[in-house]
Amino acid sequence: MVDLLFLAAAALCVISACAIVTCKNPVYSVIGMLPFFLGIAGLFVLLEATFLAAMQIMVYGGAILVVFLFVIMLINLRPEEIRDDFSFGRYLGLAALAGVTGGVILSFVRAGVPPDGELERAFAMGIGSREGQEAMSGGVLFGSAESIGLTLFRQYVIPLELVGVLLMVAILGAVILSKKKL
Amino acid sequence: MDAALTLAASDLVQWLGNLLTFRLASCLALSGALFAIGAWGVLARRNILLVLISVELMLNAVMLAFVAFARAHVNLAKETGLPYAGESGQIFALTIIALAAAEAAVGLAIVIAYFRNRQTVDTRDISLMRH
Repeated sequence: MVDLLFLAAAALCVISACAIVTCKNPVYSVIGMLPFFLGIAGLFVLLEATFLAAMQIMVYGGAILVVFLFVIMLINLRPEEIRDDFSFGRYLGLAALAGVTGGVILSFVRAGVPPDGELERAFAMGIGSREGQEAMSGGVLFGSAESIGLTLFRQYVIPLELVGVLLMVAILGAVILSKKKL
Repeated sequence: MDAALTLAASDLVQWLGNLLTFRLASCLALSGALFAIGAWGVLARRNILLVLISVELMLNAVMLAFVAFARAHVNLAKETGLPYAGESGQIFALTIIALAAAEAAVGLAIVIAYFRNRQTVDTRDISLMRH
């Protein structure tokens, strides 16, 4: 069941990613980002990172997607202004895309997994088995907001503050760049 | 050619079989494929907006790899007794989300400023610094 869900989410991600990079009209590409982000969020849920899945939907689906749509609306290209958008022909590009994607997946397949190796057993994830997980982080469940928050404010306080500074600078930069006259 | 084809087919069957037990590899393969699609979009598209969207695809692929490794780390720590650090990968992914938001804001502001000056979003027209 989990494997079927994983395959479904992965197929949703790959198909919508291909649609995003091959659609001629930018509006369709931005709309195609929605199933892509939902698919990634579904993968996070399957990996039991539920807090990150919620963040993914809120920040990407709620904020970034809308900002992209707003900018397309502001720019408002007329259909005749959309020129041939691909560097090397659309269908050649599609073929190259399929080749690259298949090549990456095949390279993972060919690299293979050691049959009875230590690594495989150690890294075999076995989703759905909750026992043992809760004991890991002092009784806090993997992927919950509680465990992430505790680690964030204990171990990663300085990076957290730096990200805050970065967001501040980005906001100021965006305002300054998009203002007509300062 | 024929031998190579049957080899690839048997590899594929083996990979699908491994999918049941080895989720890290399939997550990483998916992450690599999505990263490749995003990289192709950055290289091939000529609309700056599409280039930015493709960068978002690549960032999402990296996030997926981080979370898959974090999830794998739970079992790794359980099996080997190494100190547990499964939250670190998720915090990196969270940082990537914040970075992506900042990058989208600044990038789109640059696109708007450029469009106001030149009335275009085509990378072929952005050649002022080529010479």
